[in-house]
Amino acid sequence: MKARGRCWKFGDNIPTDQMVRSDRAIGSMDDMRKHVLENLNPAFARDVQPGDILVAGRHFGQSSGRAVAPKALQATGIGGLVVDSAARLFYRNCYEIGLPLLQCPGITAGVDDGDILAVDFESGIITNERSNVSLQGEAIPPFLMDMLRAGGLIPMAGRLAEEEQ
Amino acid sequence: MNLVEKILAKASGRQKVEPGDIVVANVDCLLLHDLSGYITSRVFENEVHRPMKYPERVVIVFDHHFSPPTESQARVLEETRAFARRHGVHLFDCGSGNIHHAGLRNGFIRPGAVIVGSDSHTPVHGAVGAFAAGLGNNSHAGMVMPFGKAWFRVPETIRIELSGHHKPGVTPRDSALWLTAQIGEGGAVYKALHFGGKYIKELDMWDRWLFPLITVDVGAKCGFIEPDEKTVQFMSEFTSNPYDLLYSDSDSDFQATWSYDISDLEPQVAASPTLGNVGPISVFAGREVQWAELGGHGGGRIEDIRQAAEILRGRHIANGVKFNVVPSSRQVFQQACDEGLVVDMFQAGCTWFPPSTGSNQAINMGAMAETESMVSTHARNFPGRNGSPKAKMYLSSAYTVAASAVRGVLSDPREFLA
Repeated sequence: MKARGRCWKFGDNIPTDQMVRSDRAIGSMDDMRKHVLENLNPAFARDVQPGDILVAGRHFGQSSGRAVAPKALQATGIGGLVVDSAARLFYRNCYEIGLPLLQCPGITAGVDDGDILAVDFESGIITNERSNVSLQGEAIPPFLMDMLRAGGLIPMAGRLAEEEQ
Repeated sequence: MNLVEKILAKASGRQKVEPGDIVVANVDCLLLHDLSGYITSRVFENEVHRPMKYPERVVIVFDHHFSPPTESQARVLEETRAFARRHGVHLFDCGSGNIHHAGLRNGFIRPGAVIVGSDSHTPVHGAVGAFAAGLGNNSHAGMVMPFGKAWFRVPETIRIELSGHHKPGVTPRDSALWLTAQIGEGGAVYKALHFGGKYIKELDMWDRWLFPLITVDVGAKCGFIEPDEKTVQFMSEFTSNPYDLLYSDSDSDFQATWSYDISDLEPQVAASPTLGNVGPISVFAGREVQWAELGGHGGGRIEDIRQAAEILRGRHIANGVKFNVVPSSRQVFQQACDEGLVVDMFQAGCTWFPPSTGSNQAINMGAMAETESMVSTHARNFPGRNGSPKAKMYLSSAYTVAASAVRGVLSDPREFLA
């Protein structure tokens, strides 16, 4: 599970409300995608390319736990996210929808917006192709890696509900 | 084991669980509101294609809309009503109060239970000794609805030990706002927070409630308070169904204990842009406000309305200030009627709104232009939640909301409480 693309860098403590405004949350996914993160960087939704990497700071995705926020990011075609740390509900939602997320404390200090990053979500290694520096992210727990491989929670829910009891 | 570990062990059919374990636990109640209910219903019907396993455990409360302002919102509510009828789940329609008050007061929340919901403040129900956590739409649609279960990583627990007594004019909400900043946004990611100590023990139940309410905003998974005789008395008002009173073992482990003394606190304000931006009222005093509100997922309690009335009785709010009073439940409005508070607040210039979550995210009220500011008992102050990203939201106690409404600028309530 790998991705390579342009780094789009965002700051600390960004709430899900800033990814998808609440009045858009009951609209179409296409509308949410077109406006995702619009208050923080309007160029992101316009110019993001499939495979690009979203990098953000501490406690990314705090506040409301609506899965439409990571779903709107996923709909842009990004290859995944690398954050200094993620808010709990956002973290859970990413794996449940099948969107790879790495936590790598120090990532925002180590990369700049516009750098080209190569990310291996299984090994947790992020390579900055501009500076040729590699960073080691935290390992994704095996349970959540299984969920990513399954394509999210829904495809594995039946098996999970039965085998654990 | 502590209370949360015992609840998760029991609900997953295990003798013992430890922090870090992944368990699949039976869920006793799923709470959804009008925003999350609609989104979850779409995922359930479009992607899951299985029957609803326990419709009697699923509760939808329309609390962001006391009345839909647009045709498209009316359609969303109608579709959600149809979903509730199709699957036989409980629905509390517009005007029922905010989701957490409606869930509790209608008997769906019990000590020892596993409560999940898509509102991120769902952990508030740890106040009665339940395990309560916010989950995402796919957990609810993909596992809770079709199987009655959810997966959890058993969290490490941090003990929050609170001591001291308030100064006059300072309230438990001031303590909770201050504590949010002390722990910090993201200061307790994925942890369970065990709120205890003499201060918590002495609080009434609706004031204890304000502490598990902050857990999501410091990044925690859940918060809880050990049940006691006050809990049992409180629960008897809402349900006659039996429940398990579980308690933490006296030798249960904590990852850490963080102790705080609240004795020296002044009235606190949390100012936009984030909940960690907290300071004493003296830092913010004098800033103009055009809106004041008692409401939101943690506000609009009878305690809040009584505090505001204490300041507003015989006074009038300033020219240019609009003051929304939003009861958290129908019962609270009835209580306010019985205590004469409805008239007191009305005569002071306030406007009563239907039981709901009020201006929370400005779904049916409470949008602001970029030049406007609000002081409220809401739980969130992030830019853009109430209209313009430049509008400001100040969170405070009901005393401070009322005092600021009288002056038209953020004000120290103690000047009115002498």
